Amino acid sequence: MIETALLRAEWTKFASIRATMVLSLAAVAVSGAFGWLFGNAGATEYAELTAQERLDFQPLDMSMRGVFIAQLLIAALGVLITSSEYGSGTMRASLAAVGARGRLLAAKAGLTVLTALPVSVAAIWLMYTIGQVTLAANGVPYVMPGDPAALRMLLLGPVVLALLALFGMALGFLLRTTASAVNTATAFLLVPILASPSPAPVRDFIQTFWPNTTAFQALSGTSALPPVVAYGLFIAFVAVLVVAAFVRFKQRDV
Amino acid sequence: MIQLNGLTKRYGEKLVVDDLTFTVRPGLVTGFLGPNGAGKSTTMRMVLGLDLPTAGKATINGRHHHELPRPLRVIGSMLESQAVHPRRTAYKHLLYLAQTNDLPASRVDAVLDLVGLSDVAGRQAGGFSLGMSQRLGIAAALLGDPPVLMLDEPVNGLDPEGVRWVRTLIRGLAAEGRTVLVSSHLMSEMAMTADRLVVIGRGRLIAEGDLGEFTETGAAVVVRTPEAAAFARRLELAGAHVQAGEAGELLVTGLSMPDVGRLACAESVPLYELAARRVSLEEAFMDLTRDAVEYGAAR
Repeated sequence: MIETALLRAEWTKFASIRATMVLSLAAVAVSGAFGWLFGNAGATEYAELTAQERLDFQPLDMSMRGVFIAQLLIAALGVLITSSEYGSGTMRASLAAVGARGRLLAAKAGLTVLTALPVSVAAIWLMYTIGQVTLAANGVPYVMPGDPAALRMLLLGPVVLALLALFGMALGFLLRTTASAVNTATAFLLVPILASPSPAPVRDFIQTFWPNTTAFQALSGTSALPPVVAYGLFIAFVAVLVVAAFVRFKQRDV
Repeated sequence: MIQLNGLTKRYGEKLVVDDLTFTVRPGLVTGFLGPNGAGKSTTMRMVLGLDLPTAGKATINGRHHHELPRPLRVIGSMLESQAVHPRRTAYKHLLYLAQTNDLPASRVDAVLDLVGLSDVAGRQAGGFSLGMSQRLGIAAALLGDPPVLMLDEPVNGLDPEGVRWVRTLIRGLAAEGRTVLVSSHLMSEMAMTADRLVVIGRGRLIAEGDLGEFTETGAAVVVRTPEAAAFARRLELAGAHVQAGEAGELLVTGLSMPDVGRLACAESVPLYELAARRVSLEEAFMDLTRDAVEYGAAR
């Protein structure tokens, strides 16, 4: 159960530190910038395609490639919500004020979702809008928001990113320092990209089952798995990490 | 009321707190004394549920800290005054703590006023001097107007005026009927603040009692006489404990000064000096903790 009093306190903490606010804005700004970059890259690529290849051109996927960068910033936001407390020593003050550890973790999880979700909505929508407008401006096919694939991206994309913030928060509890938690989150989320030169079976396995790619592929409709399984794997992964964070947090001295 | 029952904390091989049992009563200032590394802070962290005991338990007004729905309204604490995010203002730091316990923002203004930080409330805590941080820590402890207070080395880093202010504040809080536990490694400071003392060393309880009892224990009657050896035997027969002092005098304990005088008269022993030796709290503390100093200088 998440209590409103604790949620309000978490919000005060979040809003009274520049780093978390700056990171939130940066995530949105960077998303917009990547929408423009990949929109332009897509237009250039399209110009060089043959008529046959142009039939396979995926305007939505093209303009949303920046999600792989945006996810890192959103996960870092989740990390910071926890690790800034460990870094400054306020975790003790917070816990002395809240009492039961589960209540504090629940409030932090609540705040993580409540802040990461609007940031993710802004990031994804801005990336989509700028990306599609850039394609359209170059006379390249684009996707309207009414399109089922676009709708899926616009509605579920932010949810996936917000869950990645929760993944970051859990890592913050487990690793307790900003540097190690951000590095771990970043390395973990980039594994699918880093794995592309590896042998086909390894690469295929990672690109099908690695938690963030299963979710992204389900979003873009390219997953080899049924959507329920793909999203389910991803949600289960985040849930396991949050539970692990809870168990460790309860057992450990602060 | 804070109750410790067999409280024990072990880090790997090292026993930091060893089977501590004592009660901190309301209406008094209880000084929690011990050399550096004696386990004072670890004990306080266990009371707050921050460190988990290896064995035993600590309760606040009969309940574990994690069972308190609004802990700040029951126990206010200051462990390390630096536990403030350096980029957060003093006001916001206190505000978020108040919000966790459903305390109105007016409490924040009230405690800022009380500790004299109202003028710098909007400044980032990272720029605070040690004394200001200490005051902010005390403000946080008082936020919930709690019946129990636990302060770890509250006068550290304060100037003489600040030290006196803390002393007056602490005494006032106890006079209002609150339970106050104050740790220090300075006996002299406790002599001016505390009503009761709990002394620990190497994690173990060494002594506990009212302030006066500590100075009495080291007290002795000083006797100087040319017949020291014979009189010492006579005194021991009378039930006293006799030690040889520095300049050949006898240090007698277990027998009052009038009794020693009467005995000398009865035995016709000439006395050159018969005096009471008082022991400062500082000496009593040094005696008590001599064997328990973690990192002592060579003697």
